[in-house]
Amino acid sequence: MIEEIFVFVYAIIVILFVGLNIRKGSFIVEPTKLLFLVIILSILATMVLYLRGVDLYLAIKSIAKIVAGGIMFAGTLPMILAGIGLFRFGDEFGPNIFYVRNHIVGVIDAVASLVMIFAGLLIFRLDLVAVGFFFFVLIPFCGNALANAYYYSYQRRLRE
Amino acid sequence: MTDILALAELTFFWGAFTFMIATAFAGLCAIRLALKGEAVTSLMGVSALTTAAGVSLYLIQILFEIEFARDTAIALLVLGAVGTIIFARLFRMEEGK
Repeated sequence: MIEEIFVFVYAIIVILFVGLNIRKGSFIVEPTKLLFLVIILSILATMVLYLRGVDLYLAIKSIAKIVAGGIMFAGTLPMILAGIGLFRFGDEFGPNIFYVRNHIVGVIDAVASLVMIFAGLLIFRLDLVAVGFFFFVLIPFCGNALANAYYYSYQRRLRE
Repeated sequence: MTDILALAELTFFWGAFTFMIATAFAGLCAIRLALKGEAVTSLMGVSALTTAAGVSLYLIQILFEIEFARDTAIALLVLGAVGTIIFARLFRMEEGK
Protein backbone atom coordinates (compact mmCIF):
# COMPACT_ATOMS: atom_id res chain seq x y z
CA MET A 1 0.00 0.00 0.00
CA ILE A 2 2.83 2.40 0.84
CA GLU A 3 4.28 1.94 -2.65
CA GLU A 4 1.05 3.00 -4.32
CA ILE A 5 0.81 6.08 -2.10
CA PHE A 6 4.41 6.98 -2.98
CA VAL A 7 3.72 6.62 -6.71
CA PHE A 8 0.57 8.73 -6.44
CA VAL A 9 2.25 11.53 -4.47
CA TYR A 10 5.32 11.44 -6.75
CA ALA A 11 3.14 11.67 -9.86
CA ILE A 12 1.11 14.55 -8.43
CA ILE A 13 4.24 16.48 -7.46
CA VAL A 14 5.91 16.01 -10.87
CA ILE A 15 2.77 16.82 -12.87
CA LEU A 16 2.04 19.88 -10.70
CA PHE A 17 5.59 21.12 -11.17
CA VAL A 18 5.33 20.75 -14.95
CA GLY A 19 1.91 22.39 -14.90
CA LEU A 20 3.23 25.37 -12.92
CA ASN A 21 6.06 25.74 -15.44
CA ILE A 22 3.58 25.71 -18.33
CA ARG A 23 1.29 28.11 -16.49
CA LYS A 24 4.10 30.54 -15.81
CA GLY A 25 5.36 30.29 -19.38
CA SER A 26 8.96 29.90 -18.31
CA PHE A 27 11.06 27.73 -16.03
CA ILE A 28 10.46 28.08 -12.29
CA VAL A 29 13.84 26.47 -11.64
CA GLU A 30 16.47 26.79 -14.35
CA PRO A 31 16.93 23.48 -16.24
CA THR A 32 20.65 23.31 -15.48
CA LYS A 33 20.04 23.83 -11.77
CA LEU A 34 17.13 21.37 -11.84
CA LEU A 35 19.27 18.72 -13.53
CA PHE A 36 22.04 19.30 -11.00
CA LEU A 37 19.51 19.05 -8.15
CA VAL A 38 18.05 15.80 -9.49
CA ILE A 39 21.52 14.28 -9.89
CA ILE A 40 22.53 15.31 -6.34
CA LEU A 41 19.27 13.94 -4.89
CA SER A 42 19.69 10.69 -6.82
CA ILE A 43 23.27 10.24 -5.57
CA LEU A 44 22.14 10.99 -2.00
CA ALA A 45 19.29 8.48 -2.23
CA THR A 46 21.64 5.87 -3.68
CA MET A 47 24.13 6.44 -0.85
CA VAL A 48 21.39 6.18 1.77
CA LEU A 49 20.20 2.90 0.25
CA TYR A 50 23.75 1.58 0.07
CA LEU A 51 24.41 2.48 3.70
CA ARG A 52 21.22 0.69 4.69
CA GLY A 53 22.53 -2.52 3.17
CA VAL A 54 21.09 -2.52 -0.34
CA ASP A 55 23.38 -3.74 -3.12
CA LEU A 56 24.96 -0.78 -4.94
CA TYR A 57 23.95 -1.90 -8.45
CA LEU A 58 20.41 -2.56 -7.27
CA ALA A 59 20.25 0.86 -5.60
CA ILE A 60 21.48 2.68 -8.73
CA LYS A 61 19.08 0.71 -10.93
CA SER A 62 16.12 1.42 -8.66
CA ILE A 63 16.78 5.14 -8.32
CA ALA A 64 17.34 5.48 -12.08
CA LYS A 65 14.08 3.69 -12.72
CA ILE A 66 12.20 5.95 -10.31
CA VAL A 67 13.64 9.03 -12.08
CA ALA A 68 12.67 7.50 -15.44
CA GLY A 69 9.11 7.10 -14.16
CA GLY A 70 9.19 10.75 -13.11
CA ILE A 71 10.27 11.78 -16.61
CA MET A 72 7.31 9.90 -18.03
CA PHE A 73 4.97 11.55 -15.55
CA ALA A 74 6.47 14.88 -16.62
CA GLY A 75 5.74 14.12 -20.27
CA THR A 76 2.09 13.35 -19.58
CA LEU A 77 0.80 16.89 -19.13
CA PRO A 78 2.39 18.44 -22.27
CA MET A 79 1.06 15.53 -24.31
CA ILE A 80 -2.52 15.99 -23.04
CA LEU A 81 -2.32 19.77 -23.46
CA ALA A 82 -1.03 19.35 -27.02
CA GLY A 83 -3.99 17.08 -27.77
CA ILE A 84 -6.39 19.64 -26.34
CA GLY A 85 -4.66 22.28 -28.45
CA LEU A 86 -5.19 20.24 -31.60
CA PHE A 87 -8.89 20.07 -30.73
CA ARG A 88 -9.10 23.71 -29.72
CA PHE A 89 -7.65 25.39 -32.79
CA GLY A 90 -10.11 24.59 -35.55
CA ASP A 91 -10.50 25.92 -39.06
CA GLU A 92 -12.47 28.96 -37.88
CA PHE A 93 -9.22 30.74 -37.01
CA GLY A 94 -8.27 31.17 -40.66
CA PRO A 95 -5.73 29.62 -43.00
CA ASN A 96 -2.70 30.48 -40.87
CA ILE A 97 -3.88 28.17 -38.08
CA PHE A 98 -1.92 25.47 -39.89
CA TYR A 99 1.31 26.87 -38.46
CA VAL A 100 -0.11 26.72 -34.93
CA ARG A 101 -1.04 23.07 -35.46
CA ASN A 102 2.41 22.45 -36.88
CA HIS A 103 3.91 23.85 -33.70
CA ILE A 104 1.63 21.68 -31.55
CA VAL A 105 2.58 18.56 -33.50
CA GLY A 106 6.20 19.59 -32.99
CA VAL A 107 5.54 19.67 -29.24
CA ILE A 108 4.11 16.14 -29.38
CA ASP A 109 7.13 14.90 -31.35
CA ALA A 110 9.64 16.66 -29.10
CA VAL A 111 8.08 15.38 -25.87
CA ALA A 112 7.92 11.83 -27.25
CA SER A 113 11.53 11.83 -28.42
CA LEU A 114 12.89 13.47 -25.24
CA VAL A 115 11.04 10.99 -23.05
CA MET A 116 12.46 8.16 -25.17
CA ILE A 117 16.01 9.51 -24.90
CA PHE A 118 16.07 10.23 -21.16
CA ALA A 119 14.03 7.21 -20.09
CA GLY A 120 16.22 5.01 -22.29
CA LEU A 121 19.34 6.42 -20.70
CA LEU A 122 18.00 5.83 -17.21
CA ILE A 123 16.81 2.27 -17.75
CA PHE A 124 19.97 1.34 -19.71
CA ARG A 125 18.19 0.74 -23.01
CA LEU A 126 20.46 2.12 -25.70
CA ASP A 127 18.17 1.06 -28.57
CA LEU A 128 15.49 3.36 -27.16
CA VAL A 129 18.05 6.18 -26.93
CA ALA A 130 19.21 5.60 -30.52
CA VAL A 131 15.70 5.61 -31.98
CA GLY A 132 14.73 8.62 -29.86
CA PHE A 133 17.82 10.54 -30.94
CA PHE A 134 17.26 9.69 -34.61
CA PHE A 135 13.68 10.85 -34.28
CA PHE A 136 14.75 13.98 -32.39
CA VAL A 137 17.08 14.89 -35.27
CA LEU A 138 14.34 14.36 -37.87
CA ILE A 139 11.63 16.45 -36.12
CA PRO A 140 12.76 19.92 -37.32
CA PHE A 141 13.05 18.67 -40.89
CA CYS A 142 9.51 17.28 -40.71
CA GLY A 143 8.09 20.54 -39.37
CA ASN A 144 9.98 22.60 -41.90
CA ALA A 145 8.93 20.37 -44.82
CA LEU A 146 5.26 20.50 -43.74
CA ALA A 147 5.25 24.29 -43.31
CA ASN A 148 7.04 24.72 -46.61
CA ALA A 149 4.56 22.46 -48.41
CA TYR A 150 1.60 24.30 -46.93
CA TYR A 151 3.04 27.71 -47.78
CA TYR A 152 3.67 26.87 -51.42
CA SER A 153 0.39 25.02 -51.91
CA TYR A 154 -1.49 27.95 -50.33
CA GLN A 155 0.29 30.45 -52.58
CA ARG A 156 -0.56 28.26 -55.57
CA ARG A 157 -4.21 28.20 -54.58
CA LEU A 158 -4.23 31.98 -54.18
CA ARG A 159 -2.82 32.38 -57.68
CA GLU A 160 -5.42 30.07 -59.15
CA MET B 1 16.13 -5.33 -0.25
CA THR B 2 13.49 -6.11 -2.80
CA ASP B 3 11.21 -3.34 -1.53
CA ILE B 4 13.08 -0.57 -3.31
CA LEU B 5 13.18 -2.55 -6.56
CA ALA B 6 9.44 -3.23 -6.33
CA LEU B 7 8.86 0.47 -5.67
CA ALA B 8 10.98 1.41 -8.69
CA GLU B 9 9.18 -1.10 -10.91
CA LEU B 10 5.80 0.18 -9.76
CA THR B 11 6.79 3.81 -10.33
CA PHE B 12 8.12 3.05 -13.78
CA PHE B 13 5.08 0.99 -14.68
CA TRP B 14 2.62 3.68 -13.70
CA GLY B 15 4.74 6.40 -15.29
CA ALA B 16 4.88 4.53 -18.57
CA PHE B 17 1.20 3.63 -18.35
CA THR B 18 0.15 7.24 -17.72
CA PHE B 19 2.37 8.42 -20.54
CA MET B 20 0.84 5.83 -22.84
CA ILE B 21 -2.65 7.09 -22.00
CA ALA B 22 -1.58 10.67 -22.71
CA THR B 23 0.02 9.57 -25.96
CA ALA B 24 -3.14 7.72 -26.95
CA PHE B 25 -5.15 10.88 -26.31
CA ALA B 26 -2.76 12.90 -28.49
CA GLY B 27 -3.03 10.17 -31.12
CA LEU B 28 -6.83 10.42 -31.12
CA CYS B 29 -6.57 14.18 -31.62
CA ALA B 30 -4.12 13.53 -34.45
CA ILE B 31 -6.64 11.17 -36.08
CA ARG B 32 -9.22 13.94 -35.93
CA LEU B 33 -6.71 16.29 -37.53
CA ALA B 34 -5.93 13.74 -40.22
CA LEU B 35 -9.57 13.12 -41.13
CA LYS B 36 -10.52 16.76 -41.64
CA GLY B 37 -8.91 19.52 -43.57
CA GLU B 38 -6.73 19.44 -46.62
CA ALA B 39 -3.89 17.22 -47.73
CA VAL B 40 -1.00 18.83 -45.86
CA THR B 41 -3.02 18.99 -42.64
CA SER B 42 -3.87 15.31 -43.02
CA LEU B 43 -0.21 14.54 -43.56
CA MET B 44 0.62 16.39 -40.35
CA GLY B 45 -2.03 14.47 -38.45
CA VAL B 46 -0.78 11.14 -39.75
CA SER B 47 2.77 12.13 -38.78
CA ALA B 48 1.66 12.85 -35.21
CA LEU B 49 -0.31 9.61 -35.17
CA THR B 50 2.72 7.55 -36.19
CA THR B 51 4.71 9.24 -33.43
CA ALA B 52 2.06 8.45 -30.84
CA ALA B 53 1.66 4.86 -32.02
CA GLY B 54 5.41 4.28 -32.20
CA VAL B 55 6.13 5.55 -28.71
CA SER B 56 3.19 3.60 -27.28
CA LEU B 57 4.38 0.40 -28.97
CA TYR B 58 7.91 0.92 -27.67
CA LEU B 59 6.60 1.36 -24.14
CA ILE B 60 4.47 -1.76 -24.58
CA GLN B 61 7.61 -3.67 -25.50
CA ILE B 62 9.43 -2.36 -22.44
CA LEU B 63 6.59 -3.06 -20.03
CA PHE B 64 5.31 -6.38 -21.30
CA GLU B 65 8.36 -7.78 -23.13
CA ILE B 66 6.57 -8.18 -26.46
CA GLU B 67 9.41 -8.23 -28.96
CA PHE B 68 7.55 -7.58 -32.20
CA ALA B 69 6.19 -4.32 -30.76
CA ARG B 70 9.71 -2.88 -30.81
CA ASP B 71 10.23 -3.67 -34.48
CA THR B 72 6.87 -2.18 -35.38
CA ALA B 73 7.66 0.90 -33.28
CA ILE B 74 11.03 1.46 -34.94
CA ALA B 75 9.47 1.06 -38.38
CA LEU B 76 6.67 3.48 -37.51
CA LEU B 77 8.97 6.11 -36.03
CA VAL B 78 11.58 6.04 -38.77
CA LEU B 79 9.34 5.56 -41.79
CA GLY B 80 6.74 7.98 -40.43
CA ALA B 81 9.24 10.81 -40.17
CA VAL B 82 10.98 10.04 -43.46
CA GLY B 83 7.67 9.54 -45.29
CA THR B 84 6.35 12.84 -43.96
CA ILE B 85 9.35 14.67 -45.36
CA ILE B 86 9.08 12.94 -48.74
CA PHE B 87 5.34 13.54 -49.10
CA ALA B 88 5.74 17.14 -48.00
CA ARG B 89 8.31 17.60 -50.76
CA LEU B 90 5.84 16.08 -53.22
CA PHE B 91 3.07 18.42 -52.06
CA ARG B 92 5.38 21.35 -52.37
CA MET B 93 6.26 20.69 -55.97
CA GLU B 94 4.00 22.19 -58.53
CA GLU B 95 2.55 20.04 -61.25
CA GLY B 96 4.92 19.44 -64.14
CA LYS B 97 8.07 20.43 -62.23
